[in-house]
This record gives sequence, structure tokens and C-alpha cells, in this order.
Amino acid sequence: MLYLLIVGPIVAGVLTLLFKEKDTRLLTILIQLALLFYALHIFIDVRLNGTLFNYMSHVPEGLAITLMADAISTVFVLMTSTLFLVMMIYAYHKVYFTTTFGFLFLVLQALITGLFLSTDLFNLYVLLEVSTVTVSILIMINKEKQAIYDGMIYFFVNVIGTAFLLFGIGMLYRTTGLLEMNAIAEVLPLVEDSRSLFLAFAFMMTTLSLKTAVVPLFSWLPKAHGTPSAPPVVSAILSGLYIKTGVYLFIRFSTMFSAAIAIQELFLVIGFATSIFGFVMALGQNDIKMILAYSTVSQIGLIMIGLTMGAEKAYWGSLFHIFSHAIFKSTLFLAAGTVYHYYGTRDIRQIRGVLKAMPLVGAAILFGVLGVTGAPFFNGSISKYMIAYGSKDPLIQFGLNLINLGTITYFLKFSTILFGKDERAEEEKPPKEDKLSEILLLVMGLFIFISGVFGPLSVDWIFGYETEIFTAGYFEKGLVYLLMLLAGTGLYNGVIKESGVLDDISHLELTFNAIITAMTGNFIFIIGYLYWVFY
Amino acid sequence: MDFLTGEIVGILLFFIGLFGLMTKKTIVKTIMSMSIMESGIFLFYITINYTEGSVPPIGQTSEAAFADPVPSALMITAIVIGIGVTAIGLTMFMHYKQKHGITHWSRNRNQQGSGH
Repeated sequence: MLYLLIVGPIVAGVLTLLFKEKDTRLLTILIQLALLFYALHIFIDVRLNGTLFNYMSHVPEGLAITLMADAISTVFVLMTSTLFLVMMIYAYHKVYFTTTFGFLFLVLQALITGLFLSTDLFNLYVLLEVSTVTVSILIMINKEKQAIYDGMIYFFVNVIGTAFLLFGIGMLYRTTGLLEMNAIAEVLPLVEDSRSLFLAFAFMMTTLSLKTAVVPLFSWLPKAHGTPSAPPVVSAILSGLYIKTGVYLFIRFSTMFSAAIAIQELFLVIGFATSIFGFVMALGQNDIKMILAYSTVSQIGLIMIGLTMGAEKAYWGSLFHIFSHAIFKSTLFLAAGTVYHYYGTRDIRQIRGVLKAMPLVGAAILFGVLGVTGAPFFNGSISKYMIAYGSKDPLIQFGLNLINLGTITYFLKFSTILFGKDERAEEEKPPKEDKLSEILLLVMGLFIFISGVFGPLSVDWIFGYETEIFTAGYFEKGLVYLLMLLAGTGLYNGVIKESGVLDDISHLELTFNAIITAMTGNFIFIIGYLYWVFY
Repeated sequence: MDFLTGEIVGILLFFIGLFGLMTKKTIVKTIMSMSIMESGIFLFYITINYTEGSVPPIGQTSEAAFADPVPSALMITAIVIGIGVTAIGLTMFMHYKQKHGITHWSRNRNQQGSGH
């Protein structure tokens, strides 16, 4: 009964619209609680009894529209339900939590769950298209000028991106006559001339490059995730969870094509480029939301590196990084929203003394920063260690260390908001927001720590992958982290604070037409690369 | 004129639309190019693996080969989504133009409102 997870929230959302006059916030949260329990039930069921299939309308396997819950997708579904519940609790006392907002959130939850469960290619297209619409409405929910412009760019770029996917599916259907991913994976080895798959592969991978925001197609992400007026829960869901749909589809599609086309090394290079570019851009930003948005670009690059490295430990490390990134990035975005509300500015040069003014939020930010930079015993360090373990190549090790140094440096810049003294007069300070959301932030912050301390256990529980983590190598990494902290401090104070180069870089932005041109260029590049490798 | 099949024309339309998206700065033209691109995809789908003289798989079995109904069924859904997406795009654009008077994609995020 996997479809309940998809149909349920939508039906419930429509129900809340019927009771528009009344307060529907509690109802929304109760629905999400029920969904969370059901997702947990399915998670345990799959862990005990193996992969679960759901065929629609009594058609044989391979032809029917299929929902599949396996070890990976159930984790993503569970993550979706948990994060959405947390977001709704955070938003409970906020003004923007209206019935319409709750409805949109429930629909988005259903669509994201559908993306994780469905194995039918056309279904995936429909879900991606509809979720694009929902997300762009959520981005511009405040109808502010900047938000509408950003939302429009997001909307058009992603609709065009999914059109690429639809075309790719058509090409694949032309060759195989199938739409079900597992069935396609089975028949692909029978395709005699792999050239007939090149176009389909290039089209689909272009869409995924756009969805995962890798170089050179990341330009829409900071606009969409860092929109000033979008509610913090929207930014948190987009950055913490929605971007992972692209990564998830990348995993699925590469598995599907692996029999005929395997060009992991290309995406390894792209991952490195994305990660390095992400942190260089983040260094130049002064807006708290923009720093976090570019940090997402950088971390997604890291996830791509782990997925394409070819080592088992790095692969699972990457999946665990998806999980840990979801937690610390949504914590940081929510905390940034609270900070923005209290200080009335997003400029990190003007925010000081968060730790003193709001101890709970400050602690949550501290935990989040320690998590994302990979401090020992925080969940980011577990996943980063597992990714680094995957390769002995000195070039890759150097790249990973460089990325981590960059991450530490821009988060040092970010954490200057925690310390110092708030210089505003007492009467300028707005009343604080509700206590509930602050406590929730602290709970999330503690979860970052707990899932890190029990790192091997959480990896085992979540993915069923047993591994040794707390070895001598791990503690060596801890020492390296401390050294990097020093190096990052020196780098930040000595070089970055003074130089104007980064300021110039940070204003580098593609126009709408340039984004589409980059997309076409990416498509042509993948085609060219395929011909170069295979012929 | 054997090479002028629906599939080839579909691919051509797709790239004509893409060209429009790459070069035109007017938002209305963006929406139009998007529609052209999608029409190309629709045409491509409904002519996939089409053989001359095949009949729709409705009613009694016949001598002629059946045409594959799946792509057409998919395209009905895709056309509906396409209409919805175009409508939403136009709504956004109209709202934006009426409120802020902007009809073009601007060069820089921080310098909007040049309007050309």
C-alpha cells in the first residue's frame, strides 16, 4: 500500500482546504505524524522482508506503473516525512502558516515521496513537473518583487529542464518500448548498438545535472534557495530535501544505464568542479542565506564525488552525507530565518552576538556549523571520513582536503555572527519569536551530534551497512580538522577579508538566457564525451 | 521526402524552441519558445515506431498491425501538463509586468528594472 504515502497527503491537503475558515495547523501536523508512522512501518518492513513492490491496475510486472520501496528509497521517504513534520512544527506559531501554505506543503511532501518511490519514467516526469510548480509558488508566496523574479527563473529553467527529460524518455522508449526502470535495466544489455542510447542518456543526464545543480548549471539554485523573502521553512526544505531528489534520480538512472553506458569518471570530475566552485562562491557572499545556498552547491558536489568514486564505503558514505546534510542544512536555514527575524538584516557583517541574544538558536547554529565542516564526533565527519576512505589517489585526497578547508573557511566567516556584541539600542530589538521553534532547533542541533557520536550505529540502522569508523584514521582526521581550523582562521583573516577578488567573483551570475545556453552546452558536451569515449 | 518523418520534424521543432530560449530576452517569447519546444516533443512521441497502415487497437482484431497506443496516452497527459505550465508561466509574467512593469530578463539580479 505504498500509494497511500503519495495519495494520502494530497487528499488530506484538499480536506484542510475544505475547512479553510477554521484553524487547520494542528490537523496538518497530525496528518504528517500519521504519515511518519506509516513511513517508519514501511522502513522496518523493507528492512526485515526485503524490497517491496506495488503494481498498479493488475498489469504484469514491467508494464504496470510500479512503486518500489527498497533499502535506499525507504530511507529517503522516512527522511522526507521527518523533515516535513519538523518544518511544520517550526512554522506552527508563524504568521505565514496559513491553510494554503499547509496545503502546498502537504502536496509537495506527496510529490517528493512519489519521486522517491516511483520507478516509472513517465511518472517521474509528471512528479518533477508538478513539484516544480509547487516549489515556485512556495518561493514567491510573499509576492515580493525579488521573490517573483527568482521564482520565475526557477520555474522556467526547471520546466525546460524537465522537457529535456521527457524527450530523453521518448528516445529511450523508442529503443526499448518500456517505461519501467527495472525492466529497462534488464533489457539494456541486449541493445546491440549503444549509440542508440546516447541521445537518451545525454538528455536525461542534462536534466539531472540541472536538478542537482552541478557545474555549470547551478546558477538557479542560490536564487531559489536564497530568496530573501521566502519563509525559512521553504528554503530549508528546498536545500535540505528537494535538491536530494536530483541526487536520488542520479543514483537510479546511473544504475539503469550502467549496463550500456558507464561514465562515472566524468561525474567525478564534475563533482569536484562543483564542490570547489561552490565554496569559492560562498566565500564571497555576505548574505547568510546566500552562504548557505552556495554551501549546498558545494556539499552536493561532495556527494557526487562519493557516489561516483566506485568504492563501496564511499558510496554509502555519500548516502549518509545526504542524510546528514539534510539535517544540518535545514537546521542552519531555519536558524538563519530566526536570526533574520530578530536582527532585521541578513548581512553577516551587521549581525553580532547571536549566542548571547538567543542561546538556543546560537547553540543550534554552532552544532550545524560543526556538522557541516566535519568536526570530530559530528555526523558530517562520519560521512566525510567514509567518502575520503574510498580512494587512495593523492589527487583525490588533496581535492577533498581542499574542499574541507574551503568549507571551514566560509563557515568561519559565517560563525562570526555568533560572537561579539549586539550594538543596537534596546528599543530597536523586535520581540523574540516563539519558544517552540527555538527548542526545536536545539533538538535538531543535538541530533546532529548524537547521530555523529553513534556514527557506525546510525549508518547501520539507516542503511544496513556495517562498517568500522572510529579507527586510528578517523582520529587522524580529527587532528587534520584542528589544523585546518587554524589554517582557515589564518586564511580568512589574512587573505580573504582584505582581498576584493572574491567580492567580484561573488557577483558573477548567469542571466536566464545564459543558463539555458549552459544547459544546451552541457547536453552537447555529454554527447561529445560519449562519442569520444566509445568511438 | 522519406526523411521528413514526424520524429525528425519533432527534433527540429525542439531545437528551434531551444534556440529561441537561448537568444530571446523577452519573457513572452520565452513562454512561446517553450510551447514550440514541447510541441516538438509531442510530435516526436506520437510518431514513435509508427508503421504505415497500422490501425488503432480498438474493437475487433483486424488484419493490419496495431499502432502502439502508449505514447499517445502519455502525450495526452503531457499536453495537459503543458497547458497548465504555460498558464502558470503567463500568470506569473502578467502579475510581474502589471506590478513592476518588467517584460525582459534583466542582466543582473541586483539591477532589475532597466526594462529595455
